[in-house]
Amino acid sequence: MSAQAGAGAAQAARKDAAPTQDVAWHHRHVLDVDVLTWPEIELIMRTAEEMGGILARPIRKVPALNGRRVTTLFYEASTRTRVSFETAARNLSADVVSIATATSSVTKGESLVDTIRTLEALGAEILIMRHSVSGAPYLAAQVFSGHVLNGGDGWHAHPTQALLDLYTMRQHVPGGDLRGRKVVIVGDVLHSRVARSNIWSLTAAGADLWLCGPATLLRGLDRWAAAWEGGKVPGHGRFHVTSDVAAAIRDADVVMALRIQRERMQSGLLPSLREYAARFGINAERVSRARPEAIVMHPGPMNEGVEIAPDVAASGRSVVTEQVSNGVAIRMALLYLLAGSHDGTVPGAAR
Amino acid sequence: MSARAGLKAGQAGQAGQVVERLEIQKAWLVDPVAGREGPGEIVVSDGVLESVVWLEGDEAGGVDDRGVVVAPGLLEMHAHFREPGFEDAETVATGCAAAAHGGYTTAAVMPNTQPALDEPGILERVRAAAAASGSPVEVLAYGAVSLDRAGEQLSAMGELADAGVVGYSDDGACVRTPRLLRSALLYAGMLGLPIVDHCEDAELTAGAEANEGYVASVLGLAGWPAAAEVNAVSRDIAVLADALRDEPRARLHLTHLSTAAALDAVRRARAAGLPVTCDVTPHHLAFTDEWIAGSRRWSWEALAADGLSGDPWVDGALTAAPYDTSLRVNPPLRTPADAAACLAAVLDGTAGAVVTDHAPHTAVDKEVEFGRAINGISGIETALGILLSFVDAGKLPLARAVAALTTGPAGIMAGWSRVAGTAAARPRGLTEGAAADLVVFDRADSWQVTADSLLSKGKNTPLLGRSLPGRVLFTVAGGRLAYQDPSPDQA
Repeated sequence: MSAQAGAGAAQAARKDAAPTQDVAWHHRHVLDVDVLTWPEIELIMRTAEEMGGILARPIRKVPALNGRRVTTLFYEASTRTRVSFETAARNLSADVVSIATATSSVTKGESLVDTIRTLEALGAEILIMRHSVSGAPYLAAQVFSGHVLNGGDGWHAHPTQALLDLYTMRQHVPGGDLRGRKVVIVGDVLHSRVARSNIWSLTAAGADLWLCGPATLLRGLDRWAAAWEGGKVPGHGRFHVTSDVAAAIRDADVVMALRIQRERMQSGLLPSLREYAARFGINAERVSRARPEAIVMHPGPMNEGVEIAPDVAASGRSVVTEQVSNGVAIRMALLYLLAGSHDGTVPGAAR
Repeated sequence: MSARAGLKAGQAGQAGQVVERLEIQKAWLVDPVAGREGPGEIVVSDGVLESVVWLEGDEAGGVDDRGVVVAPGLLEMHAHFREPGFEDAETVATGCAAAAHGGYTTAAVMPNTQPALDEPGILERVRAAAAASGSPVEVLAYGAVSLDRAGEQLSAMGELADAGVVGYSDDGACVRTPRLLRSALLYAGMLGLPIVDHCEDAELTAGAEANEGYVASVLGLAGWPAAAEVNAVSRDIAVLADALRDEPRARLHLTHLSTAAALDAVRRARAAGLPVTCDVTPHHLAFTDEWIAGSRRWSWEALAADGLSGDPWVDGALTAAPYDTSLRVNPPLRTPADAAACLAAVLDGTAGAVVTDHAPHTAVDKEVEFGRAINGISGIETALGILLSFVDAGKLPLARAVAALTTGPAGIMAGWSRVAGTAAARPRGLTEGAAADLVVFDRADSWQVTADSLLSKGKNTPLLGRSLPGRVLFTVAGGRLAYQDPSPDQA
């Protein structure tokens, strides 16, 4: 019941919003989804659909960002996110410079601020950044005169992941409308930037969001949920936090598993991976309690046999590879929107 | 202008020099020793507070506590002047200049220098720097509890006592083990000096970035639980109770407490008669963890009428960029309810003093990612203005604010037998015939906190760009001019 009240709040906020056709992009950076209004999120979705059209062609390239200089600055190891961003940038004909910190002067002790000033002096216009410290892109945005696109910061935010998750869910939910649809995210929520960004976007979409995991990996989230009790944050519904995996998955439309890392055992947060898999792993039995048409998601990379059973990962419910390809469309959309003030119509994308 | 009309200060003289003559007419005097405040006039002549006149009846007409205020010089029990070792962040000279700008005439500095102040030679360096600065601000010092602050062996406690330290602290960290604390309390107690502890269970705060709770959760910052402070406070109190059986002169002072639960533990221990005192800081009184999300409202503005915290994401309080590293401090900024508990502790005397924990840092150490920024707020120049903001908001009587910065800390230090009776623990009142030691500030005038207006090398304060009430016009320390407001409209 209360979940509907939350969805209602989100809906009410939406009613006041301008018709989506009139939305123009005005954000200089994309650091998280928290500052995006629902019409802005819909603009991103619409733009990503156009990008999806480009990706369906034999030649996946348009000149939209021809000559624009995109730099990826990754302070944390990541293959799929970095390649996804670089693919997106190249599809838009941007010039891409890729910096991994292991080979840069960062290992010589250069500060983030100095690194960013250097990249700016070298002509970077759009900076895509991944960093292990929460909030680092906000520091970058203060010193960089161009655009900063957050590719994940610490435990805090991973906006492109949340947006591609939303985009993927909309493709599978009838009518593309998540209002009242039950979405459950299971796993290490405490350390998850994916979960945090998804809280903002899915409560904006009006989904009935449930976060589930062992109590040690939910710490503090109960206080966030309590603060949003009753859906009092404008444009966002409430969400649930529970360690009861059966209640969380029951009748879910979307089941998303988060990666469990080995260091959680070393730091005393979990007894063992085996115990995690037994109590919280997304296996066929648990998924059978979700709705028959429910989809299974994972931001990757997966530990099959831990947070997700191999047969579930390989099943027809799994949309993990769709998430990866949708990620390119979402990142193309954001790069395109950031590169100029646009209404979401991509020249050359008309079919 | 009217607020300053009564000043005759043209002859106050040069900084560092004896004040030849300073007359303040028709001002509001606050004397926390006499327990008196009201309209009055003072005259300083050749460094001596020659006369203190309380005005009555018609003479007092038009004078209220909203204009120029004369109060005793402020006493800072907890500052970091960074010398020796970190002179790029602060020196004793710049620290004294900042202290004087803040209205302070005495500052006790912490021993976490490089090398640590764990033997008398380092104290001599600090004293030499203070003398060379020419500032009349009196610099006191704590010695380290442990050698090199390593938490293993005791520092040269006896020699340090002979050399004149006012207590011992491993500030920056908690006294590492209960066993070391017990020895330290006994040995320091024997010497008539206190252990001043920074209460933090380091095991619970490993990797911690911000107060554990709603704000840290939303911002993805590693939680710094209140339990870390409560644990250490409970440990310290239990060890003190035990040590007192062997050494009745053992004294414990807990500095910069930040949580309601820790203050409650001290309140209970004091009620049980244990010789434990504590202090709180202006930043834990006035700022809260929601500032890290971008809020800039005072702590009391974040509390709804029902006593529950407001939600900055709901009520439009987020006006600044998030993750400002000037807010990274140890202990972390807490919830509005904790800030309210700090204020309640000042009001009921549980926290006998407000100390700044003045922690200047360089831009190099602060212009980094939030989780990598060094802890600390540069606060010795803004403490008075912050407390006056509480006074302006009706949350704290003016006399209580002054007492928390003068007689409060002096009273705590007077409880340390080796310090009692020394100049450090002198009563801070407006006493005729004594060397003038006072601050004159104008509640009707505000000042802008900027990198230029701060005399400290440490510009690491979240108040940059903001104006604070209570411009300090003069600080006179030991009869000498420590600070004079340079603004051109000075009378």
